[in-house]
Formats: sequence, C-alpha cells, structure tokens
Amino acid sequence: MSPFVSLPLALVCAADFLRVDLNSYLYLSALLFAIGFFGVLLRKNTLVIYMCLELMLVAATVALVAFSRYNGTMDGNVFVFFILTVAAAEVAVGLAIIVALFRRRQTIQVEELNALKN
Amino acid sequence: MNTSYAQLAHALQPEIILADGAVLVIAFDLIFGRHRPLATRLAASLALGALTLVAAFIASVFVGPIGGFYGESFVLDSFALATRGGVIVLALLTLGVAAGAKVMRNPAEYVALILFATTGFTLMAAANHLLIAFASLELASLSLYLLAGFDKDRRESAEAGLKYFLLGALATAFLLFGFSLIYGMTGELALPRIAAVLAQCGMSPLPALALVMVMVAFGFKAAAAPFHLWAPDAYEGAPTPSAALIASASKLAGFTLFTRLLWPGLGALAGDSSHALNPGGWITIVVLLAGASLLIGNLAALAQTNLRRLLAYSAIAHAGVMMLGVVTASLAGPGPLFYYLFTYGIATAGAFGVIAVLERNGGCQKITDLAGLSRRSPLLAGTLAIFILSLAGIPPLAGFFGKFTFFALMLRIGGIASPTGALTLLAIALSAVSLYYYLVVLKQALVEPFASEKPTRIHVPAATALTLLAATALIIGLGLCPSLLLTFF
Repeated sequence: MSPFVSLPLALVCAADFLRVDLNSYLYLSALLFAIGFFGVLLRKNTLVIYMCLELMLVAATVALVAFSRYNGTMDGNVFVFFILTVAAAEVAVGLAIIVALFRRRQTIQVEELNALKN
Repeated sequence: MNTSYAQLAHALQPEIILADGAVLVIAFDLIFGRHRPLATRLAASLALGALTLVAAFIASVFVGPIGGFYGESFVLDSFALATRGGVIVLALLTLGVAAGAKVMRNPAEYVALILFATTGFTLMAAANHLLIAFASLELASLSLYLLAGFDKDRRESAEAGLKYFLLGALATAFLLFGFSLIYGMTGELALPRIAAVLAQCGMSPLPALALVMVMVAFGFKAAAAPFHLWAPDAYEGAPTPSAALIASASKLAGFTLFTRLLWPGLGALAGDSSHALNPGGWITIVVLLAGASLLIGNLAALAQTNLRRLLAYSAIAHAGVMMLGVVTASLAGPGPLFYYLFTYGIATAGAFGVIAVLERNGGCQKITDLAGLSRRSPLLAGTLAIFILSLAGIPPLAGFFGKFTFFALMLRIGGIASPTGALTLLAIALSAVSLYYYLVVLKQALVEPFASEKPTRIHVPAATALTLLAATALIIGLGLCPSLLLTFF
C-alpha cells in the first residue's frame, strides 16, 4: 500500500479512536465546575475568585454544547451565545464594583472585608 | 410554533416602555441637568422614572392576560400579570424611598438602574423558557449588584455590592449548570415541553443533580438559609432605596420565576409531600430550606442590634414562610403566595423608607437610634408601627392573613402528625418568637424617650410622606379585604 493511501486511512482510524462520547464531555464539565467552585470557596483574592466564577460558567457552556450535539437541536448552542454575552456584562459590573472597592479600601483581599457586622 | 414579532411587541409593551424610560432619564439628565444642583437633578430623574413606571403599569393592564405567546416562550396568565403589576408598584415605592434618602452622586443613573432592574423583574414574571428565565434574571441581578454598590462615598456600600455580586454570580453559575442538565435530559428549553418529557421519565440521579443545582440557586436568590449569608451584609451596606428594592420587588419576581419553574416546569419531580418519610423530589429540599430559614432567621434576629440587619434576618425568616407558600401553591394556586409576597414587599419597602428619612437626619444604624421617634415625627413612628406589626403578622394587617392562609394550607396537606404538620407547628411557634424582636423595635420608636433634652423635629419630604401613607393604606386595606387581590386569580 502506498503511503499516499495509507495516511488518510490512518487519520480516519485515529479520528475514530479519538471520538469523544457525551460522558467524557460531561466529566470535563463537572471537573471544571468543581475546580471553579472550590476556587471560589478557598481563594482569598477577589480577582481570582472572580476568575473561578467564570470557570463555573464555562463548565455550563461545555455541557450545553455537548448536550446540544447529543440531542440534535440547536437550542443549546444558542443558549451559549447568551451566556457569553451575559458573562461579558458580568465582567463589566464585577470589575466596576471591585475597582470602586479598591479605591475606598486599597485592598481586594476578602478577609479584610469586614466593615459590615452587627 | 407561532413566533409573531408583532404579538411579541404588543405583549412586551411595559418592558419596552421601562427600557426606553431608563434611557430617557439618562439622556434628560445629560442634556438639561449638567450645571444644576444635585437635588434638582434627583427630583427630575425621580419624576421621569415615576411617570415611566405609571405608563408601564397602564400598558400592562391594557395588554391583559393573553396566555402563552411567542412559541410558549412567554406566558401572561393571571399570576404573571399580577407579579408584573406588583413589581411596578414596589418599584414606585422604591422611588418614593429614594426621594427621602441621602442624595447620592449620579442620581439619573441610579433611577435608570432601578428601571432596568424593574424591566428584568417584569420579564422574570412572564418567562416560560429557560433562556428567557436566565436572561431576565441576569438583567435584574446585574442591575441590583450595581444598585447595592452605588454609594461611592461610603466604604460599606462597595463591600455590600461585592459580597452580593460574588454570591449572586455563584448562584447564577449553579442555576446555569442545572439548566444545562435539564436541557440534556429533556432536549427542550421551553417549560411546557420540558414538563411533557419529564412526565414520561421518572426520577433518576441526573434529574436529582439538576434539581439540587436549581434549588441551590433558588436558595441564594431568595436568601433562604443556609444560603442567606449575603443578605445581612447587603441590607446593611447598600444605599437604603437599593435595600428596599432588593428586599421587596426582587423577592416577588424571584419567587414567581421559581414557582413557575418548579410547579408547571418540574412538577413531575415534585414528589409526594404527604408521604411521611420519603417524599422523593424537590418538595423535600424546599421543606428543608423552609425549616432552616425559619429557625436561623428568627433566632439570629433576636441577637441583632443593627436595625437593617434585623430586617435582613426577618427577611430570611419570611423567606422560610414563602417556601411553605411554594409547597402549597399546588393546592390553592399562586394567589396566596402572590398576596404574601406583595404585602411583605410593601411592608419592608415602607420600613426602609422610614430608615431612609432617619438616615438623612443624622443616621439610623442601631435600633436605639429610633428612640423618641414618636416625639420627633409622629408620621414616621405611626407608619413604622404599621409596617412592623404587619411583618410580625398581627391581625387585621396584611401580614397576618398571608401567614394564616399558608399555615392552614400546610395543615391540610398531611394533618398535624405528618412532617409538614410538624413544620407548620414550628413556624407558628417561631412566629411567636419573632414578635419579641419586632416589639423591641416598636418599643424604641414609640416608648423610649429621646436621648437629649429637646427632640428635634424630622422633616419628611412630601413624596416620601405620600409613599409611606400609600403603603400604610395598602397594608391596612389588603389586610381588611384580602379578596381585593385574591379574586384576581
């Protein structure tokens, strides 16, 4: 067999071998969600917490796209566009609040945010 | 599928008016308000905002209950219509509170954000599709985060905004993940079609996970224990009108959205509440949230010395009662739930209105700051007494009737001996506990003398006085004739 024939064939076989099923995407999505959630719980820097929140949104995005492909409808893909838009708006709002806080307090560490108490 | 844009534009007239009004308020301020004093700009913005809200209310009455539209993505039944009107009325009360509160920089943006949040609330009331639910919830939430952190002169405000934002965004992430799992199970996003698919397949691990995710988000947004930690900080640090809006209209819209999501949408997964030990379904989670909120809210409120934090813990306790209303919504329809949410919103917004006026006249953080209020301003003391007594559930005020209906319905589900009956007895016992901290507030306001010899009179702005009187009239009127609202359903 000449190499010109076997190369595409090998690629096809490799693609078949690499074909990822729905469960793998869901595991990835759950993993991303867990990393994000524990980041939110454990990190002390507001900006890093904020990045972890975005990671949780991305986890939902991955699951939606995978489900959309699996279900054969476009709804999930359309949903993702809305999530991306809302996440951008959330960045604007979140960073604005963080900047306002930094101007008043010169810190963004959560353990120093203790002005509000009984 | 019927997706007519003309019908969409017709049915969403109130939202179009609200969004246009918000832009108009900013534009008017930019063009005419540049070199005028802050108080004038605030008055103009508030007047324009109030006009917009009244126009939106008239438009919403004019549209009427037209049922599902735009391919069942929205629904305008009596519940949606009532919530739409209710949040607009509560937003009007918030503007009245803002008229009496401390004047902040950028008043036009503040009013515009209130209008944008109201747009989100009215859309939440009509959402019948996961995508619409998500987008409208975010429109409302993002506006509320900004409103909470709006006062740039006070360091507490930014901190309250950040805490509210971080926990709210966390709740959103949970909600989205739950939505994506629901979409994965059913392949649908519209609630009626999700319900049709779910009716055929029962409970399994994946729907259970999706339910837990959605319920966590519900707990955060409703400030139900154990997801309540943001509420006391947000209520304490946020500017007073923002706190009033977060406590009143956002609760009404949030509970409407989640009741629609849970009963018509995920009703197949509700489980059987009268079944003693294993109801199986989201009713279990709602009942647990209700019990935890009632306990934590009422007991922690006893220890508060800060008036706003006390109102926050009272809000957590009330969220527990509202959760009981969600459980009973299958029995009696959404009417009693709406009645409770609306009257609770009026009473809380009114109480924050009193706090706002006091704050402009020298600060009101501690409960003891209320001392001598009846001498300083009989109007404020009298309306505060009505609001607090309604929150405590004293007949004949509106708060009593709402609580009474829920408790009676809960007992009808499984009798006294069942878990729901035990929860009801707990709720009744804790209502008695709550009377203590509400009366502590009233004792300060009505009985205690003012600290110094000569109490200074408090001047109440006309718009705020009118708002407080209107709220009092609503509380008394709806308490005496609940059927005024309930016949609507």
